[in-house]
Amino acid sequence: MPLSTDQQERYSRQTELIGWGVEGQERLLASRVFVAGVGGLGCAAAVYLAEAGIGELVVCDGDVVERSNLNRQFLYSRDNITEPKAVVAAAALRRLNPDITVTPMFAEIDTSTAVSLVEGSDLVLDCLDNPETRMILNRATIAAGIPMVYAAVAEYTGYLSFLSPPATPCLECFVDGTRPPVDPPVPGGTAGTLGSLEAVEALKFLTGTGTTLAGKLLIMDASIPRFDVVRVDRNPSCPACSRLG
Amino acid sequence: MIIFLRSGGKLRDKLKPDVDQYTKRVEVEGDKSLREILAEVGVPDSLVAFAFANGKLERLEYRPTDGDVITLQPPVSGG
Repeated sequence: MPLSTDQQERYSRQTELIGWGVEGQERLLASRVFVAGVGGLGCAAAVYLAEAGIGELVVCDGDVVERSNLNRQFLYSRDNITEPKAVVAAAALRRLNPDITVTPMFAEIDTSTAVSLVEGSDLVLDCLDNPETRMILNRATIAAGIPMVYAAVAEYTGYLSFLSPPATPCLECFVDGTRPPVDPPVPGGTAGTLGSLEAVEALKFLTGTGTTLAGKLLIMDASIPRFDVVRVDRNPSCPACSRLG
Repeated sequence: MIIFLRSGGKLRDKLKPDVDQYTKRVEVEGDKSLREILAEVGVPDSLVAFAFANGKLERLEYRPTDGDVITLQPPVSGG
């Protein structure tokens, strides 16, 4: 469907990007992106994706808002404590851009639900907060054949990659998912930076502009500060993706 | 041979940097894996999620060469 006059103006600052254009915007408006987790990473990623005009944004989180979330999860306020994050986030995102569909899923991602939750999406964003669920999501995206943007944060450190096996490694190729979950301190800016970069990866992939972090890992150590981008190879014996050849 | 270990996050407490705030100079005798070197300098490998050298992610079985600068990053799983 061609862009309306309102849409042409609303999205003009991004459609002017080389390679993006009206066609890129139409692709975004026809896309469905699944945001797994609407915490520190997910709030930032979802805001930029909503504002950019992703046609359907699915925000999935099984948690409710807690007071300790409010240093970084800016879609919530004190009034939302005990309310489901997915529902509150969806309402806030709809206010930011009534042009799009935002679907809340107040659900836990586990081995029995993961594939059905992500199916039908063009892209999955890993905005989760623990290694075990990340590995479940990783395997679900492999099973469904959907690329995934990975990010994780703690303190001043953040990691980011674009995963689309067999063209790239999967998460299990280079991340140890057996480590015990921790609840690390996270300044809002660390999570917001990585969440914003997840949105950038998504927008590049969906519009076909720029170069994603496929086969690469971005490592942010904001305490120095320092950003590194390093090559990551597939693990030929990866239990999750080696069967893809 | 001499290698340099750079540390991110909480790893700095374990690595005890001496070149600058983040880097430790390590003299390595013989041919050793990164895992063996970390044990010698008192860094538990359970605290290392990623190690990279020469622009590439390496496993702890990586055998450094003279002059390598190897950056160690801690496990991070928050969101």
